[in-house]
Amino acid sequence: MTTTLNRPASGTPAASKTAPTFRQRLNVFDVKASPYLYIAPFFLLFGLVGLFPLGYTFVVSLFDWHLLKGQGEFVGLQNFVEVLQDRFFWNSLFNTVSIFLLSTIPQLVVATAIAAVLDQNLRTKTFWRMSILLPYIVTPVAVAMIFANMFGEQYGLINNILASMGIDRIMWMNETLPSHIAIATMVNWRWTGYNALILLAAMQAVPRDIYESAAIDGAGPFRRFFSITLPSIRPTMIFVVITATIGGLQIFTEPKLYDPRSAGGTARQFQTTVLYLWEMAFQRQNFGKAATIAWLLFLIIVLFGIVNWLISRRIATTGDERGSRRGALSGRRKKSSAPAVVLPAVGTQPPAPSGESAAGNPASTDDATTRSGK
Amino acid sequence: MSLSRRTKMITALTGTMTLAFVATGCGSSSDEPASAENPIELSITTFGNFGYDDLYAEYEEANPGVTIEANNIDGSANARVDAFTKLAAGSGLSDVVAVEEGWLGQIMEVSDQFVDLNEHSAQDIKDNWVDWKFEQGTDPNGRVIGYGTDIGPQALCFNQDLFEAAGFPTDREEVAELFGGDDATWETYFDLGRQYNEATGKAWYDQSAFVWNSMVNQMEEGYYTADGALNVEGNEAMRAKFDLLAAGTADGLSANQKQFDWGKGKAFVDGSFAVHVCPAWMLGTIQEQLESAGGGPETGWDVADVFPGGASNWGGAFLSVPESSEHPAEAAKLAAWLTAPEQQVKQSAAANNFPSTIEAQQQIVEDAVPNELFNDAPYGAIFASRAEGVVAQFKGPKDSVIQENVFAPALKILDTGSGTADEAWNEAVKLLNELVVNN
Repeated sequence: MTTTLNRPASGTPAASKTAPTFRQRLNVFDVKASPYLYIAPFFLLFGLVGLFPLGYTFVVSLFDWHLLKGQGEFVGLQNFVEVLQDRFFWNSLFNTVSIFLLSTIPQLVVATAIAAVLDQNLRTKTFWRMSILLPYIVTPVAVAMIFANMFGEQYGLINNILASMGIDRIMWMNETLPSHIAIATMVNWRWTGYNALILLAAMQAVPRDIYESAAIDGAGPFRRFFSITLPSIRPTMIFVVITATIGGLQIFTEPKLYDPRSAGGTARQFQTTVLYLWEMAFQRQNFGKAATIAWLLFLIIVLFGIVNWLISRRIATTGDERGSRRGALSGRRKKSSAPAVVLPAVGTQPPAPSGESAAGNPASTDDATTRSGK
Repeated sequence: MSLSRRTKMITALTGTMTLAFVATGCGSSSDEPASAENPIELSITTFGNFGYDDLYAEYEEANPGVTIEANNIDGSANARVDAFTKLAAGSGLSDVVAVEEGWLGQIMEVSDQFVDLNEHSAQDIKDNWVDWKFEQGTDPNGRVIGYGTDIGPQALCFNQDLFEAAGFPTDREEVAELFGGDDATWETYFDLGRQYNEATGKAWYDQSAFVWNSMVNQMEEGYYTADGALNVEGNEAMRAKFDLLAAGTADGLSANQKQFDWGKGKAFVDGSFAVHVCPAWMLGTIQEQLESAGGGPETGWDVADVFPGGASNWGGAFLSVPESSEHPAEAAKLAAWLTAPEQQVKQSAAANNFPSTIEAQQQIVEDAVPNELFNDAPYGAIFASRAEGVVAQFKGPKDSVIQENVFAPALKILDTGSGTADEAWNEAVKLLNELVVNN
């Protein structure tokens, strides 16, 4: 390292005497500054459409600010005090979390199961993989209209079926929990396939020979799934959980269109926080409080993000320990070496996989799969 | 040398000035009358069933160079949000905007954002309208910001087949008598409902909120006093009506339908309820619902010249021209044309609503075109009769908010049977304080 640095000075003394030419300066500048310039567009755009609105929203939240009449008196944190005492805000938060839990958990479980099935040697696998993505390309508006019709209380398909079986009609619109289930169903229908594909991509990256040796050692399909597949796709799983969390806390379209004439049901039984924000801004025309709700939602999402990060980090580390411990404890059986082998393989993956890297993997691993599979 | 430079500068200056003149010339030409040489596009936003589609085509034909870009929004509540969002954004409003009576009060708070139609000779056609309608469209400073389209005098729709099944008379005049004719009261209305419910076991009206709107619109002063003060808490007369309605709903008279949805119209076909409060425009709404559910005249709906509690007006709309319009003169011309008596007659035929100009009202009474869908009812004569004695109630800035976001949720408590009259009323007062008083 030092030699390379010294070499120009000692090797070509002429260069050290004369001042660097414009071209040389340019080269130095290029090496030092270019990387920052290349990433600058993102940060400029982020500053313009992300950071500035964030700051400005905070400024708005400190004022009495009417939709039409504009900026009013400075009220300090009064808006925050009022919103935090507002029963509708807490109601919206409860609804958001409830819909989020009802959608994210079943969604991830089902998506993992679907991905595991698709990971088998199926005939016409492209057909199956494309099919599960179909719901994702249907616009949410159409999804909401169809589901709102199906979940209709007096004339909907589902209640008609229930009634024909002698079961009481469920108030899918007017009662809180059923309405949450109806909305969660829409969300699940739309996102399960998408998440399944991402998880599938991660599953394809798991080396096939590990499965083979596990199978030879007598591990059944379930054992292989829980001991090999799940630990191997953990980083991708964390990515999916985080994106699902952020999306779930910002849910708007489905509850809005479930009853397009209200902002989340007549009694706000399925009004999410973003929907309440919308109502505050455009129906009640109170921009100050709407900005306050936006900021509180932002803080809550950050909080959820941190909790997510802590939990997932914990899972990642305990997973490692558990894996090696199990390897050490059950060294008698040959099969136990499987997870120990998996973990290094996982380590070669980028530690924080993004959608691109996860999606980019199958192309390369596909050949490996077909080669090793046959 | 210096001379030539100066000349150059002068030339440049004159050049720029000429350009500026040309530019301003271009700008002003946009408000010149439209013609084949100066084609313009006028946008218009309406809501619900306005019945304007054929009229747009007719106007385009009569006025070469004008292209109309029409938008229609599903329901007046969504139209309100749309209008105010665009007002706030300062752009995006159509050249002509339909405004509903219920949120006209809110528009009046920002009436300076709308063109004073007096500048486009509103005073010349002022006498076309029933006077209260024209006054509603005038702001406190005397600026006219809306031409009235229709009014909503209320009659009572009823279903012949269901009445027959319950042993009630089915002829519309006998039905009017049954409800008490000119002295019809809400007490009779609910008592008949209880009789009907006993005979058939079915609900009497679709849901409580529409009945409530009718009751409130009928009062001399509604949610606001005539001087613009809120008039709900401690309003004994209003509370008495609320209790009357609550008792009826508690007795199973409400079908707990979803308003403006009605199971995509199926509730009008399957006999879920037997009567419906019908402001004139509701006939257009029912027409749409029946079409959607595949029902026709055979469903048995009819309309009787009677209304509990006397004359009542619910709703009606105005056409306004926002200041943001690039063609205010042309837009005002279109609005005036669409609301002129001749066009109101056609609108009324297309959308089943009731015109707000005197001449058009007389015309449809004279024409007496029977309404096929409603058992050939002479709806012109019926609604002209129902319009007699209507007094315009003062609409405050939050009238439609109180109707849709304060009382509708409270009444849903009654409809679903999840609370008593006291609980529902208290919820309404609580909502009022949260959404209107301390917003």
